[in-house]
Amino acid sequence: MINFKLNGLEVQVEDGSTILEACKFFGIEIPTLCYMEGLEPYGGCRLCLVQIGDDKNPKLVTACTYPVEEGLVVRTNTKRVISARKMMVELLLSVSSDSKVIQDLASKFNVTKLRFAPRHEDCVLCGLCVRMCKEQMQSGAIGFTERGYKKKIETPFNKRSEVCRLCGGCIYVCPVCQTRCQGPDADTDICNACLALEPTCIDVHDDYQCWMGTTGDCGTCVKEEDKEGKKK
Amino acid sequence: MKLKIGDLEKLRDKVKRTAEVREGKYRAKITVHMGTCGIAAGARDVMAALMDDIERKKIKDVIITTSGCAGLCSREPMVTVEVVGKPPVKYVDLTAEKIKKIVNSHIEKGVIVKECALAIGSERTH
Amino acid sequence: MKQYRTHLLVCAGTGCVACNSYEIKKTLEAEITKRKLQDEIAVIATGCNGFCERGPIVVVQPEGIFYQRLKTEDIPHLVEEHLLKGRPVKKLMYVPPKEELPIPKMMDIGFFRHQLLIVLRNRGRIDPENIEEYIAFDGYQALEKALTKMTPEQIIDVVKESGLRGRGGAGFPTGLKWERCRKAPGDVKYLICNGDEGDPGAFMDRSVLEADPHAVLEGMAIGAKAIGAQKGYIYVRSEYPLALKRVKIAIEQAEEYGLLGKNILGTGFDFSVEVARGAGAFVSGEETSLIAAIEGRIGIPRQRPPYPAQKGLWKKPTNINNVETWANVPQIIFKGAKWYSEIGTKTSKGTKIFSLVGKINNTGLVEVPMGISLKDIIYEIGGGIPKNKKFKAVQTGGPSGGCIPNQHLNLPIDYESLTEVGSMMGSGGMIVMDEDTCMVDVAKYFMNFLRDESCGKCLSCREGTHRMWEILDKITGGRGIMEDLATLEELAMAVKDASMCGLGQTAANPILSALKYFPGEFVSHIKDKKCPAKVCKPLIKYTVIPERCTGCMACLKVCAYKAIEGKRKEVHKIIQEKCTKCGSCLQVCKFEAVLVE
Repeated sequence: MINFKLNGLEVQVEDGSTILEACKFFGIEIPTLCYMEGLEPYGGCRLCLVQIGDDKNPKLVTACTYPVEEGLVVRTNTKRVISARKMMVELLLSVSSDSKVIQDLASKFNVTKLRFAPRHEDCVLCGLCVRMCKEQMQSGAIGFTERGYKKKIETPFNKRSEVCRLCGGCIYVCPVCQTRCQGPDADTDICNACLALEPTCIDVHDDYQCWMGTTGDCGTCVKEEDKEGKKK
Repeated sequence: MKLKIGDLEKLRDKVKRTAEVREGKYRAKITVHMGTCGIAAGARDVMAALMDDIERKKIKDVIITTSGCAGLCSREPMVTVEVVGKPPVKYVDLTAEKIKKIVNSHIEKGVIVKECALAIGSERTH
Repeated sequence: MKQYRTHLLVCAGTGCVACNSYEIKKTLEAEITKRKLQDEIAVIATGCNGFCERGPIVVVQPEGIFYQRLKTEDIPHLVEEHLLKGRPVKKLMYVPPKEELPIPKMMDIGFFRHQLLIVLRNRGRIDPENIEEYIAFDGYQALEKALTKMTPEQIIDVVKESGLRGRGGAGFPTGLKWERCRKAPGDVKYLICNGDEGDPGAFMDRSVLEADPHAVLEGMAIGAKAIGAQKGYIYVRSEYPLALKRVKIAIEQAEEYGLLGKNILGTGFDFSVEVARGAGAFVSGEETSLIAAIEGRIGIPRQRPPYPAQKGLWKKPTNINNVETWANVPQIIFKGAKWYSEIGTKTSKGTKIFSLVGKINNTGLVEVPMGISLKDIIYEIGGGIPKNKKFKAVQTGGPSGGCIPNQHLNLPIDYESLTEVGSMMGSGGMIVMDEDTCMVDVAKYFMNFLRDESCGKCLSCREGTHRMWEILDKITGGRGIMEDLATLEELAMAVKDASMCGLGQTAANPILSALKYFPGEFVSHIKDKKCPAKVCKPLIKYTVIPERCTGCMACLKVCAYKAIEGKRKEVHKIIQEKCTKCGSCLQVCKFEAVLVE
C-alpha cells in the first residue's frame, strides 16, 4: 500500500495505481476523454491534468498515466489546473465542435468563447480507436501516421486493411462519432445548451431527455433556423 | 594490436613528436633560413641533413622551422638555434656535415659551436 | 614514426568539406610532392577548426600560422613562398573587420584567444580517423587511470565534485545521474550518448563527433566502469553523415587497440559501443523518445516516472548523456575535480560550447568558460555585427529558449542566469539578430519548426503549437487584432503547463520572451499594420525613389515577376499588385533608388 496526499487528505492505495484510479476510488471527479477502462492509458487529451509536487516546484501531469508514489502531494482543482483544462477544452472544440462529448465538456467547464478558427474535423486523435483495435480486438488494423499537426489515424499506407474484421469497435469508442451535438451556435460554434446553463428540455418535458445517450431527439435544444439556414 | 596496461604509455612516447609539432612546444627551435638565396646556396641539403639527424638520434622537444632570407645572403646557408631561456645563435656558411656537428654539440650537449657561429644574441622569435 | 618538420592541418569539418577542403588537401599534397618537400611536410585532415566563417582553413604548425578562405589556385604560391622559402603569405591571412593589418598567428586572433578549450582541445589539431594521434595528446590516459587506480564510487565522486552538469540543455548534475543509475537494481545496464542535436543552428555535437570522437568513447568507457554498464549506444542523427563515418572508424580502431570491447587494456573490463542512426525527428532528442527509437519503436516520448535511470533501454537501468557531457569526462578524471570546478561560476562549472551564428562577423564554434558575458562572446570573439548594424537580440537555446535583448548583454552566462531572463542555455545555439530582424517573424519561424516536429501525442503541444503559429501568421500577415496578444499569452502558458515532454513544455518560450521584450513590434504589426524591421512581406512596400532613379533598367532585368515598368532614362515604377518583395531590385540598384517601407 502507498500513502499519499490527495486534495489535502492522507490516503492509501494499492501499489501500481495511477492517480486517476486513486481519484476514482475516492470519488474525486476528473474529466477524461482518451481514457477508457480496459485500454492502456494514453495521456493524449490532457484533460485529466492534476497538480503534483510541493510549493517549490509544482507541475501538471496527466492523472491517467502518472503512477502514485509514496509521499506524493496531489491537488486536482488548483487555478493552474483549471485554466489549463479550459484551454484544452477550447482546443478540442476548435478541432471538432460537432461532438456532443466535447460540447458537454465545454458546458461543464464554462468554456464560453472559442478564439481559434474551427476546423470541423471528425478526429481529435485521442487514440481510443487505435487502442481498441489493437488491445481489445487483437487486430491492429489502424494506427497513427505522420507527426505533429499532420498526424492522422489510418490503415498502413492508407490501403484497405486485410486484418480489419469490420467489428465496429473503433466507431463505438470514438467520442466524436458517438453523438453529434445538434445545437452549436453558428457564430461561436459553441452550444452550451445541455449542461451548464438551463437545459431546454426541462421546461418542455420536466425531465432531462439526453441522459441515456440519445441526443437532440426531443428537439428542444435545436435552435430555429432563419431564412438563410443559420441557427438563431 | 591490443594494448595492455603500460603499453599506452609506450605508444604515447612513440607518437609524442606529433604532439610537439602540433602544439608548437619546444625546448629548442632551429630555423633554417631559406629564401631564394638560401636555397641557391644549398639550404635544402642542410635541412635534409638536419631532419635526418634529429630523427636518427630520436631527439625530443625540438622543432624545425624555416624563415625567409635573414639578410646576410653572402653567408648562406644560415641557421638560427634558439634554446629556450638562452640567447639565439646564428650559424653561417653551413653544410650537411657542419649541421650534424651543431646538433651534436649545441642541441644535445648545450655547447655552442664557436667556429660556425656568426653572432650570439639577436631578435628572438619566441 | 616518420618525423616531419612542419605539419599542415587542413580543416575537414563538414563546413569546410562543403567548401572543397578535401580538394585543397589533394592540391597541397600534389604541390608538395612537386617541390620535393614530401619528406619534410605532413598534410593532415583534422576536424572542425571552429572558425567556420573563414573556411577552408589551413594551420601551419609549429609556427601557428593561420590561413583562411583558401582556394585551390592559392596553393602553389603558398607552397613556394611559405613552405619552401619560409616567407608566410600575408594576403591569405586573417584581417579583422574594420582593420588593415593581417594577424599571422592563430592564437593572436580574437576569435581564438578568448576561448578555453577543454572539450574541443583536439579540434583542428588531430586527424580524427587516426587513434594514435588522439593517444599522442594524452588520449585514453584517463581511462587507464579509471580502470586501474579508481573504484566506481570514486569515479562518481570525482564527477560529482567537479560540478559537471548535463550539456544537452537541462543541466542536471551528471554525477548525481550516474549515481542513481549505479544504485538501480539489476546487472544489465546501458549507456547512451545523445547525438541527435535537433536545434536549428546548433552544430556543437556534430563538431565534437567529427573532430574528436575518441573523447566521447573514452568518456563513455569511464562512465561504464562507474555505473556498471556493459554496452553503450551512440545515437547520431542521419543528417550528420561525416560524424557517423568518423564515429564508426573510431570505434573500429579503439576495438583494434584493445581500448573498447572485451577485456579493455587487459583489465577484464568489457564495454562495447554501437552506433544507432536517427531518422529525422527533432523529438527523438528527448530521452524517452530516443530510447524508443533505439528499440525500434516509434520515437514518441512517454511519461516519466519511471526515469531511464531505473527503467530505460529495454526496461533496464540506462544512463543517457549528451555528446558534450561525455567528452568532458576524460579531462575531469585526468586532471581532477578541483581543476574543473575552478573554471566557471558557482553553480555552473567548466566550459560550454556555443555555436555562434546569425548576424555576426565571426560565425563559428566557440568554447568559453561559464560566466563569460554575452557581450564578450558577441564582440570580442564574435567580432560584432556585420555592416555596422545595431545589435537587437540573441536567441539562446534554440526553439526551447528565448531572446535576450540589449539590456541584458552584460549577463554572465550560466544555467540559472539565462533561465532568469526568460531564456535557457539549451544545447548551446546562439543566434545573433540585428535591427533588420523582425522578432514576430522569428517567433513564427520557431513555432513553425515546433509544430512540424511535435510528435503529436499531446493535444496541448500538437494543437497548441499549430494555433500559436496560426495567430503569428495572422499578425505577420496584417490580419491580427489586439485580443490576439492576450490569446497568445494564455495559450502559451497552457501549452507550457499541460504538455508532457520538454518540447511542448518549452515551446512557448520564444513567444513569451518576444512578447516580454519586444511588445512594441507586435502592436506595430497589429495596430499600424507595419513591420518595423521591414521583413514581413504583406506589411512592406517596395517603391522607386524618383529623384535617384537614372532609368538604367537594371531592376527590370532581374525582376522575375515583371513587376517593374519603365523605359531607358525614364523613372521606373514598381507595380504593387505584381511585386512579391523578393528584394532582387534592391540588391542590383547601384543608385540606392529602391525604398522599402
